Amino acid sequence: MSDSQTLPVEVIGIEQVTPLIKHFKLAPAGGGSLPVFSGGSHIIVVMQAADRVHKNPYSLLGSPLQLDTYEIGVRRMEESRGGSHFMHDSVKVGSRLEIAHPVNLFGLDKIARKHVLIAGGIGITPFLGQLEDLHDGGVPYELHYSVRSPEHAAFLERLRRREGARLHMYYDSEGQLIPFETLLAAQPLGTHVYVCGPAGMIKHVIATAQARGWPDSHIHWEQFSAPPVGDAFDVFLARAKISVHVPPDQSLLESIEAAGVEVPYLCRGGVCGFCHTKVLELDGELIHNDHFLSEAEKAKAKSIMPCVSRARCKSLVLDL
Amino acid sequence: MNGKFKPHETFRDDFSYRNSPEAIRRFPLPFPEDSYMYSVNIEPHLPGPVGSVTEFAFDVDEHYVAECRERAIVLASEPLRYQALPHMMSSQWDCLELIMESLARDYPTHFSLARQGNRWHWINRPLQIDQHFTFGDAATLPREPLDYITRQAQGDFVVMDQREGDLWAEAGMVTTQADWSMDFDLGMTFKEWHGPVPLAHELQVFDRALKFLLNLRLGQPVRRLNWTMTIHPRLDTSPENYPHWGPDRASVTGQNAGDLVHLRVELQGLWRLPRSNAIVFGIRCYLISLRELATVPKWARRVHRVLRDLHPALIDYKGLTRYRNAAVEWLAPFDDGSPTTPGTAPE
Amino acid sequence: MLVTGIKSKPVYAPLQADTRGRYHLMLGMGVGAAPLLRVIDEMRAAAQSLQNTRVLFVPDAAAPLGIEQFKAAAVGDLQAFERPPALLERFAAILGQSLMGTRLYVAGPESFIGLVMKIALEFNLNKDEIRAEECGTLARRVYCIHCRATTENVRTNIVSCAGCKRWLLVRDHYSRRLAAYMGVMADAEAPGELPTLKEVFL
Repeated sequence: MSDSQTLPVEVIGIEQVTPLIKHFKLAPAGGGSLPVFSGGSHIIVVMQAADRVHKNPYSLLGSPLQLDTYEIGVRRMEESRGGSHFMHDSVKVGSRLEIAHPVNLFGLDKIARKHVLIAGGIGITPFLGQLEDLHDGGVPYELHYSVRSPEHAAFLERLRRREGARLHMYYDSEGQLIPFETLLAAQPLGTHVYVCGPAGMIKHVIATAQARGWPDSHIHWEQFSAPPVGDAFDVFLARAKISVHVPPDQSLLESIEAAGVEVPYLCRGGVCGFCHTKVLELDGELIHNDHFLSEAEKAKAKSIMPCVSRARCKSLVLDL
Repeated sequence: MNGKFKPHETFRDDFSYRNSPEAIRRFPLPFPEDSYMYSVNIEPHLPGPVGSVTEFAFDVDEHYVAECRERAIVLASEPLRYQALPHMMSSQWDCLELIMESLARDYPTHFSLARQGNRWHWINRPLQIDQHFTFGDAATLPREPLDYITRQAQGDFVVMDQREGDLWAEAGMVTTQADWSMDFDLGMTFKEWHGPVPLAHELQVFDRALKFLLNLRLGQPVRRLNWTMTIHPRLDTSPENYPHWGPDRASVTGQNAGDLVHLRVELQGLWRLPRSNAIVFGIRCYLISLRELATVPKWARRVHRVLRDLHPALIDYKGLTRYRNAAVEWLAPFDDGSPTTPGTAPE
Repeated sequence: MLVTGIKSKPVYAPLQADTRGRYHLMLGMGVGAAPLLRVIDEMRAAAQSLQNTRVLFVPDAAAPLGIEQFKAAAVGDLQAFERPPALLERFAAILGQSLMGTRLYVAGPESFIGLVMKIALEFNLNKDEIRAEECGTLARRVYCIHCRATTENVRTNIVSCAGCKRWLLVRDHYSRRLAAYMGVMADAEAPGELPTLKEVFL
């Protein structure tokens, strides 16, 4: 996708739902309705800050049946490169933003016989979009939601009301941990598990499920992490014939975009493979932070995912 | 479309189907050069030239009413030509919305769609349909959504669910196909249902096509052309009915080939669907007899050369074996060997 | 039309134990006993407990291997059946009680495997959870695309349809949903002109 396919929206509502999370309501700037989407979809929000452009993905947590507004939840990140701070501190009711068409990389498996949803903190957001489909779907499901403490449980009222006994809450502050081992050991054949939350939780769920013999096709995860920071480096774009400097707190993709070159992207999180770029020359080493390339491909160093990966090098030439 | 509908033309029995001069002029010739081989010839489904078959999302032409009648005839005796697995209901609604919105937007004289929330009012003037219904509630329509709307559209439709890194054909209306069965292929993955296509697998055409389609974006449909040949302007060349149309292939001679042999072109469109995240594959079928084709001198020369030099595996796969020579013989007098310009526009 | 060399034709491989599975469900028929016993040996050699291994088996009078070998292997559960339909019914019931982490191993003639897969499909078991090795007869189940009858135990390249009696060409195009190969009228274009009858699926 590229910037030319964004939609202008206006912020029509902001609510502080937990100490760290704000809930934003967006409406189409020119009126009308927003594009239909499927539960689990996310949008990229484009924020024009004073010194740079932020493009962050946020899950749509509203009902896919309500298209006059989109709803997103943004957690204020401690080590932020500015995107979440911008949303929390600079965006007000009436602010204008650009958003991209919804994309779904975290859809429910339609022939699953049961769904087990596991959310950590802000990771609850994509599930909120999916609960609409699940509620009337006729397939059994359960939601396990882990947060630091009751005041950090976003959207709890809404969830309790709709889901009742299907919702299981776990508060770190009360020493309650999701019993991953027993949970994943007792699911009937045909169950799919979905996890969204901190990187450590995701890794743990995947490892536990695999150890219990779950095939990878039944394990789904989504992670919106900021691209890792690193030392500054320079890169040369062979087709555009320009040199681009990548500062420590800006991703390779962001730096290339800031230089005026467009790179196709979808998730901006190293998962979908859309920004896959060929490495033409390298004197140094690539720092692969993605989940898309195989170990073999990473070792060959002929490809890089600029949305999250970096380099430590004397020179790097990309096919862009 | 400017012309009138020809509601009584037939695709069986007396085969009264004919193309008007306008229909011939806009025919989507699938040969941009004098020879043919497979490729992943996908391009964005953007609006084509005014009056062309790609001007709108779904093309409605002079054969619209007759084709809808033909579909109804097939379904009356063979209901299994329409199938939908239970988990595909949200994709059915997606398809209904896509087709209704497109037709009402692009052909406002023929179709209207008025919406108040989920209370929809659909009018199809050529078929004299006036339907109020609740979007999302199948009980308010006389048939399932996909069944309902594809009976009012030209061409076949296959809906593919996307999961496990693959595409699965799990719903479809298939009555105008070139020799494949929805009933048999229901539930197959992308490469499985393309199993019977020779050579293409070795050329990795399907690996690349699948990878591309898995990333198909909402609002960015794509299209491609495919082709084969049919004896008589018969739309229903299903494997199911092969005993009825198979014998036609042996009835072609060098003299009658001009009227019997038809070039059959599929304009295939692929759309990502919003609620289900599935993909709908529309297969719109265009038929033209060799005689009608030959009224365009460049096309006569080109098609003669393509058929004459076609790879044997393709001749077999496309079912041309028995009459290929007769067709080439019939076209030969039109080919003086002079060069043809690249592209499909008549000279 | 393409008859052979079609990519939808299932591909089988020698069975191997999947040590990532927690529950192992083995289904066999006739000479399929051998691959299953080999997997059991593999698991024992890897010091895997056979407690969670169950075997459902249809012994074949002609095949030398049988129930005794399975008994000696001391698997968690062993059941023998006289004929496949009874095994398949029990299999479906077991799947209804099974948990994630189950692995399915099937060995036997292709038709037997196909019918097992058909049931496995309903429980959302996918290719990562199933291993199948074909052994024994290659005789096919053939679905007539014209009258929709299924003709069992087809060993020849063309067959007279059990339903409509047309001579059908037996293609390699395979449907997992129907657990059968496609049969299409062999002499539609030139009535009476049939390929020579040959035994090919032995």
